[in-house]
Amino acid sequence: MLTAADLAVVAFTLRIAALGTVLIIGPGIAVALALARYRGPGKSILETLLSLPLVLPPTAVGMLLLSVLARRGLLGRWLDAAGIQVVFTWKAVLLATMVMAFPLLVRSARTAFEEVDPRLDGLARTLGCGPTAAFFRVTLPLAWRGIVGGTVLAFARALGEFGATVMIAGNIPGRTQTLALAIFQASQVGRDDRATTLAGVTVLIAFMTLWTAEWLTRRRNRRVAT
Amino acid sequence: MIEIAVELPLAPFELRVAVRLGDGVTAIMGPSGSGKTSLLEAVAGLRPRARGRIALDGIVLLDTQSGVRLRPERRRVGYVPQGAGLFPHLTVMGNVRFAARGAGSRVRAAIESLELAPLLDRYPATLSGGEQQRVALARSLASDPRLLLLDEPLAALDVGLRERIVPYLRRVHDEWKVPVLYVTHNVGEALDLAEAVLLLRTGTVEAHGPALDLLSRPAMARAAEAGIENLRHGRIVAHDDQGGTTRVQLDDGQALAVPLSSSRLPGEAVNLAIRAEDVLLAVEPLRGLSARNIIEARIVTLDRVGPDALLRCRAASASGSEPRPWLVRITPSAVDSLGLVSGQRVWLAIKSHSVRLL
Repeated sequence: MLTAADLAVVAFTLRIAALGTVLIIGPGIAVALALARYRGPGKSILETLLSLPLVLPPTAVGMLLLSVLARRGLLGRWLDAAGIQVVFTWKAVLLATMVMAFPLLVRSARTAFEEVDPRLDGLARTLGCGPTAAFFRVTLPLAWRGIVGGTVLAFARALGEFGATVMIAGNIPGRTQTLALAIFQASQVGRDDRATTLAGVTVLIAFMTLWTAEWLTRRRNRRVAT
Repeated sequence: MIEIAVELPLAPFELRVAVRLGDGVTAIMGPSGSGKTSLLEAVAGLRPRARGRIALDGIVLLDTQSGVRLRPERRRVGYVPQGAGLFPHLTVMGNVRFAARGAGSRVRAAIESLELAPLLDRYPATLSGGEQQRVALARSLASDPRLLLLDEPLAALDVGLRERIVPYLRRVHDEWKVPVLYVTHNVGEALDLAEAVLLLRTGTVEAHGPALDLLSRPAMARAAEAGIENLRHGRIVAHDDQGGTTRVQLDDGQALAVPLSSSRLPGEAVNLAIRAEDVLLAVEPLRGLSARNIIEARIVTLDRVGPDALLRCRAASASGSEPRPWLVRITPSAVDSLGLVSGQRVWLAIKSHSVRLL
């Protein structure tokens, strides 16, 4: 059964994944829309760069983040001067999950935006909508399915993030340990029963996440199709 | 009074139009790719590269010289694009009252005028083409436009449906007193609905004048061709009530079966219009086909017009010194796969319902 420590790990993981996902939704949608609409030089370079974390080993991403955030790193110097400690804290866990989940959200949201007939935006304008209103009343609702799908993927990725997290946040029980890290640690120290229990919890959470997404998009779908 | 003097660079040419249009319905005609849709979009404010001046009853929408460029949402120009462009995530009601400036009374009046009450809870995907067009018209009207732009509102509809929509279009203009710019390829529609015709060719105005004058002048042949339309003059021969057709003999001797039109007397002169894309073409004699009219012909010329191939074919039986060619519009891939060349013998098939009596 789950001990209090296990429950704390589950709660910490859910909190980090949820917060990370919420934080990337806004920027992710903005970047996806920009990529879908932008037709200029450098587009493919930009897209490739943004998708890079998807194919790199997460530990490599973690290493890059570490070098940027280290006390003498590009950003670390500033953060240190400001008295903000990121590396090996929960903030590092959050950052790692956000960086790894961001490209997934952007990819599906971008595809969704590309599938929206761009003429509809212009039509909304002729009907008296400003650009912002046209986006929120037409483009966004029509891309809704892809955005929900991308958000769920991002959340699932955040739940399971391991490589980048372990590089910049370590595996500190009670401070930076997420489900994925706890499973690894438990199996390393021979606590297979605990590892199995935690893996089971992960399966349950992942299942419920995907099922909720399916339900949300299907409900929406039915309204549009019939 | 609508003043338009715009220049807009398009891919193969530049659109340059300078006209003053009246407050009635103006039909904009011309071959595919002559800039008709771009002109509408420039007026609606959807073409940021358009330069020049556009004014509606003295209200300036665009004047690049004095730096005026009203955003589309400030122009009060209603636009119904090809295929209606309804918002698929909204019901009919949601679409009609979408406009930010659509007052409740206008929304109700638009619903009534276009008879949409039974459809209000439906989603666009479940509507027929004609219903979608009516919803799109109502949506524009509810936004209180000073000008209405319609891009081939009837093109996607079959003949029967077209005839059901035309009264709505006429009503839109009569009841709502909104000037209309109306893109069409169909001379019959233009004569039905428009007071004036603006004929475009590769981005410039080829002709502009009262619809009846323009479309019945000798220049009509060219005008018609611009619309890629076969126009023929002939006489009613007889009615076949059982068969549901009326027989017509064209001036060049060709006989055609057209939809039953009992109100016209045998011997009466008629004008017929057949869209060039409604003519089927075969390279072998046709058998077992439902089309009532099959014409043996020879390809005279074969041109590329916009994205399509336009063929001029001369009927084998045609008499007279210079018989009118039949215009046939097909895709370039059909030209390739059939291996069509000029001089080739072909058979043209025309459904009687593709023939419009004007």
